[in-house]
Amino acid sequence: MKHLKAINNKAQLLDKAVAEDQVEEVVAMQSLAGCAATTDPGWEIDAFGSVTSLCQPMESDLYGCADPCWWPAQVPDMMNTHTNWNENALDSGESWRNLGTVFPSDKK
Amino acid sequence: MNTIIKSPLALAITAALTTTVLPSYAQEDAVKIVQGKCLACHTEENQAAPQWSRISHQRKTPEGWLMTIGRMQMMHGLQISDDDRATVVKYLADRQGLAPEETSTYRYAMERRLDTMESFEDSQFEEMCARCHSGARVGLQRRPAAEWEHLVHFHLGQWPSTEYQALARDRDWFPIALNEMVPKLSKMFPMDSNSWDQWQSAAKPDFVGQWSFAVHQPGRGDGSGLMTITQQAGDRYSVSMEGTWADGTPLKGSGTAIVYTGFEWRAEIDLGGVITRQVLAASKDGMNLSGRVFEAAHDERGMEFSAAKATTGNHQIVAVYPQNLKAGESTEVTIVGTGLKGRVSLGNGVSVEKVLKRTYNSVTVLAKADANATTSANSVTVGGVNGGQFAVYNKVDSIKVQPAFTIARVGGNGGSTPKVQARFEAEAWGAGADGKPGTEDDIRIGYLPASWHVEPFDEAARADNDVYFAGRMDATSGVFTPGNAGPNPERRMSTNNAGNLKVVASVKDGDQTLQGDGQLIVTVQRWNDAPLP
Repeated sequence: MKHLKAINNKAQLLDKAVAEDQVEEVVAMQSLAGCAATTDPGWEIDAFGSVTSLCQPMESDLYGCADPCWWPAQVPDMMNTHTNWNENALDSGESWRNLGTVFPSDKK
Repeated sequence: MNTIIKSPLALAITAALTTTVLPSYAQEDAVKIVQGKCLACHTEENQAAPQWSRISHQRKTPEGWLMTIGRMQMMHGLQISDDDRATVVKYLADRQGLAPEETSTYRYAMERRLDTMESFEDSQFEEMCARCHSGARVGLQRRPAAEWEHLVHFHLGQWPSTEYQALARDRDWFPIALNEMVPKLSKMFPMDSNSWDQWQSAAKPDFVGQWSFAVHQPGRGDGSGLMTITQQAGDRYSVSMEGTWADGTPLKGSGTAIVYTGFEWRAEIDLGGVITRQVLAASKDGMNLSGRVFEAAHDERGMEFSAAKATTGNHQIVAVYPQNLKAGESTEVTIVGTGLKGRVSLGNGVSVEKVLKRTYNSVTVLAKADANATTSANSVTVGGVNGGQFAVYNKVDSIKVQPAFTIARVGGNGGSTPKVQARFEAEAWGAGADGKPGTEDDIRIGYLPASWHVEPFDEAARADNDVYFAGRMDATSGVFTPGNAGPNPERRMSTNNAGNLKVVASVKDGDQTLQGDGQLIVTVQRWNDAPLP
């Protein structure tokens, strides 16, 4: 981090957390079975164990992350696996209701 | 309302591992299906004793095999009927499954206990494997090194960003995956094991008969009854349940079940009009059946399930409820098990005043705690049978909210994913001999009724008014129902109804009111919700 300077609020928050040694603690909290532990950004939980630093509303930027399979275990990846997932929801902010689940009820 | 897209696969896979329309299982059928459907890509390594590339060199749970075949459909264009897929899952889970002890650490994944906080001693395993999905998804597979290596290549090919996320771009991810993780995984989760060899030749549990069961559901309470299992054909069964909740309401239902790998019980039961799934495991001796039962459409609404086979020679206690009694008070206590004969003892400081109801499988007594009883967690006995615990207490010293940390997910509002609730219980503790709560000698008193509310977890949550937007906590049951999915124009930047909440339980104990708290993250939907998280 010594060559990078935090210029926005989120980055400053991250700097602060690193300085206060909070990051390690938070990473351990994020391993709830089934939640993404990736937090750059996270899907369910941010790097601080909260939701304020997530991309929200997630609909505004959803495909920017679903395309490069950022959380493929939670959000269908559109690069290789579910390439047509959003064919009826091209504007996710307006038509997010058209996004379907890919494993709706197969937990028997 | 807009039309909700469901992929053809999504609809097809609904019937997977189902218990209602399975074709009669036959090994030859499964082999023919594999030969007809899989050999366009896989090679047949041995025809006489069926062996195929990749397929024959892995072992998985039924859910694991289902996910594998589902992935072949999603990614590789496999066309297969629901019935054929069920036949192949059954064949593979039986032939290449996991032994009971190989599943024990990770059963929470099959049981859909998504409150489980995973932690692994090996941080490299966590960083390399459990970064996107549960570690249990890995721990419920067995492969030789060559197959773990194929899995690394598959991951990078299918999801290239694996290599440039945090915890990957800061290291030489690919060589670490190949040269360190592959040998490690092949040792942690090896294809060949004594457990599996022994389980294959072991006598398998006999499920047919009556089972005395007990359930515990957060937000609902305890119940018990009898489950009767009759064989349909092979490993398929009919099931009926007849019991009552502690408050007297019926706990009754019927359905069908299938057994995989000799001990993995999967049933679909209509329980009072609600379709529930049972994910249970039989003990090796066939005398116990335990796991979790949950609503098919809402797996967060579930109950602990434990049962003892009601058969001659089986004497055991599987549950005691309620879990505790305050000094000087009286209550009805039910002990559930089987072969329960003889005197009931709830331990020091508790007298059994009267036997109210008695069967071979349960005893209900009127218990009275001595006015001067001190807090202790007592063993319970009925005749010569020990099991379960019953606490007597003179004072509650601390309250823990269980689970201490969990999530709920926004849903509904015309979208395809339902709201995922969160459920909490207040667990009372005594301070123990040192008089200090939070130390090792604390005594678990057990669950007590509480009054529930949520607060902002931190200043950011307060500023964003998360308490108002993220959902509502039911003050009596401890069940939190999250808000609607979708951007909310009423919130700053139209953000989702996510939130970071402190969950507070208030428990009255005599003149004092104690509080305990936990954390609830209300978060966004999960569209890719595979059977193993």
